[in-house]
Amino acid sequence: MLDYVGLEADLDAEERMIRDTARDFVDETVRPDVGEHWIEGTFPTDLIEKMGDLGFYAPNLEGYGLPGVSETAYGLLMQELEACDSGLRSMASVQGALVMYPIHAFGSEEQKEEWLPKLGTGEAVGCFGLTEPEHGSDPSSMTTHAESEDDGYVLNGAKTWITNSPIADVAVVWARDRSADDSPVRGFLVETDRDGVSTNKIDEKLSLRASITGEIGLNDVYVPEENVLPEVSGMKGPLSCLTQARYGIAWGAIGAARDCFETARQYATDREQFGGPIARFQLQQQKLAEMATQITTSQLLAHRLADLKERGEMTPQHVSMAKRNNVRMARDQSRIAREMLGGNGITADYSPMRHMANLETVYTYEGTHDIHTLVLGQDLTGFAAFEQ
Amino acid sequence: MKILVTVKEVAEAEDDFEIDGLDIDERYLEYDLNEWDDYAVEEAVTIAEDGDDVEVVSVTIGPERAEETVRMALAKGVDRAIRVWDDDLESADMLDVGTKADILAAVVEEEDPDLVFSGVQANDDGFGATGVALAEVVDMEWGAVVNDLDLDAEGGVAHVHRELEGGVEELTDIELPAVLTIQTGINEPRYASLRGIRQAQRKPLDVQGLGDLGLDASVLESAVSRTAMFEPESESDVTVFEGGAEEEAGQLADLLRDKGVVEG
Ligand SMILES: Cc1cc2nc3c(=O)[nH]c(=O)nc-3n(C[C@H](O)[C@H](O)[C@H](O)COP(=O)(O)OP(=O)(O)OC[C@H]3O[C@@H](n4cnc5c(N)ncnc54)[C@H](O)[C@@H]3O)c2cc1C
Repeated sequence: MLDYVGLEADLDAEERMIRDTARDFVDETVRPDVGEHWIEGTFPTDLIEKMGDLGFYAPNLEGYGLPGVSETAYGLLMQELEACDSGLRSMASVQGALVMYPIHAFGSEEQKEEWLPKLGTGEAVGCFGLTEPEHGSDPSSMTTHAESEDDGYVLNGAKTWITNSPIADVAVVWARDRSADDSPVRGFLVETDRDGVSTNKIDEKLSLRASITGEIGLNDVYVPEENVLPEVSGMKGPLSCLTQARYGIAWGAIGAARDCFETARQYATDREQFGGPIARFQLQQQKLAEMATQITTSQLLAHRLADLKERGEMTPQHVSMAKRNNVRMARDQSRIAREMLGGNGITADYSPMRHMANLETVYTYEGTHDIHTLVLGQDLTGFAAFEQ
Repeated sequence: MKILVTVKEVAEAEDDFEIDGLDIDERYLEYDLNEWDDYAVEEAVTIAEDGDDVEVVSVTIGPERAEETVRMALAKGVDRAIRVWDDDLESADMLDVGTKADILAAVVEEEDPDLVFSGVQANDDGFGATGVALAEVVDMEWGAVVNDLDLDAEGGVAHVHRELEGGVEELTDIELPAVLTIQTGINEPRYASLRGIRQAQRKPLDVQGLGDLGLDASVLESAVSRTAMFEPESESDVTVFEGGAEEEAGQLADLLRDKGVVEG
């Protein structure tokens, strides 16, 4: 795949091996059928444990059988997964960054021991419930709430657009604790087989089709006190998870764009019109030149972000800039790649239009492009445009 | 029990390449673990996982670049590795089967394994003889092109299926210590896990020169040398049949009769 300024030449041996293993795994076991899954609107669930065996979930965390690889290696893994399909990367992001990360960062020792090994191997599947039908970009206005009762809590409310909720064993549900002063947002580990939990599937999506999405209904769901994440209170909980996941998305989007680029470059070299390959036309070359440049500058941002994260100097605003830039880049360039493939470009036989449709979700979830613009605006001016 | 697996980093040329002297131009080559060796590693690692106290050691003859390939074997579960290389090997024009067998034999003497697995052949030079030649030098029993293995470690015998020509299989028992050359398809090689990749960086990878193995440059003397490298002219002869299915079938029958493939 395109690496125009040789960034990957500076990877260490471990990082290179992780990249190559992920690439081989995806090429041999996922890519051949992914278009079919996308059309059918199914996720290849047999991959969940396979990816777990390989250690693809939260590999940047340590302990509980997790390998603790570098942030660059983690980013490269996300990139290889999303080069195949954003749905595949979403599976790993949700399980790792949105479910295992909060348990690892804010959970009790018992919660960690119960959940991290199972989630790490893919024996258990988790989901992350923040978004509600009436509260998307503004999750702190959430209405899902908990009231304390019998050494535990009773939860009520509804979450929607929740990746993997229909197949999840456990949901990390963010809800306001109305029994405490100022009703802080707390994280609850809700096993999906508890009475009062429903997880309806959302069908007929036109984007991220090879990924399962659903709702979480909470109707007087009792959870014991020990299911509350003890170490966090307030929006910092869910937002810190999102920072982790967005970091992976900033890398992943480059994977989708690189796959589009390589598909378009190959097609332009092979496809002949007017007596020769279309790659000899300046118009097509201009598209490839622009695509390669955009991919390369996004790559630079991702590699820098990895260094900052490794040193503990990465801020949420840094991640907002990278998610915002790299996903927009991938969204725009996938469309150019699609157009270079002519009529063939609108089929699922080639990846660009599938990536293009997927990237509409990636542009919207984990903070919409607009919201990241406002986050940067606030950081640059000191004025928060999204507060009333 | 100890299993020694010989592994090789092989060169793979891109579809379009140029020749430079007696070799393919380096710019068009990529390196990877020999496909057959991947199956040999898997077979050894599976035996180690299923058995008690089995050590798997892999050995390669190759430059520093080959360490990445060897680390991949370590990441898949091999316990430690040996890489044989020095200036004499570096300056050799080519390493023929005899040389490799002698070098590997020195490693076998040192390690004293119960079993040696090698791939049936290497993807690049394709001599397909190293494993068997090694058995000859170290005077071990051997089985070539093994596509099924049932090891009786206690009884000291390997029950194997060997693939012969024409789809025929030989079922035979081979007494240990033995060299088996492993055929693709005998198992399903795993992917290295991220955990395995991390651990591999800390596993021992010992570099030894010819001198360390009690050998010297004379082992490199060879009766075989590469004299030329060229792309063979490819000739193709195409006959296009036209007409309905019946007519085309008739034309094909005529052609087959003509070429003597069928009689009458
Ligand atoms: C396939 C898929 C999977 C998802 N998975 C999950 C998941 O696992 N867990 C989870 O919790 N959520 C998930 N989401 C939800 C996702 O995070 C939300 O869709 C997203 O946060 C946007 O919320 P919304 O859809 O309610 O849009 P809204 O917030 O209603 O936004 C609508 C439009 O208004 C714009 N807008 C909003 N506020 C402002 C403002 N202040 N200034 C300017 N413009 C503004 C937005 O940018 C957007 O263009 C998923 C979504 C999808 C599509």
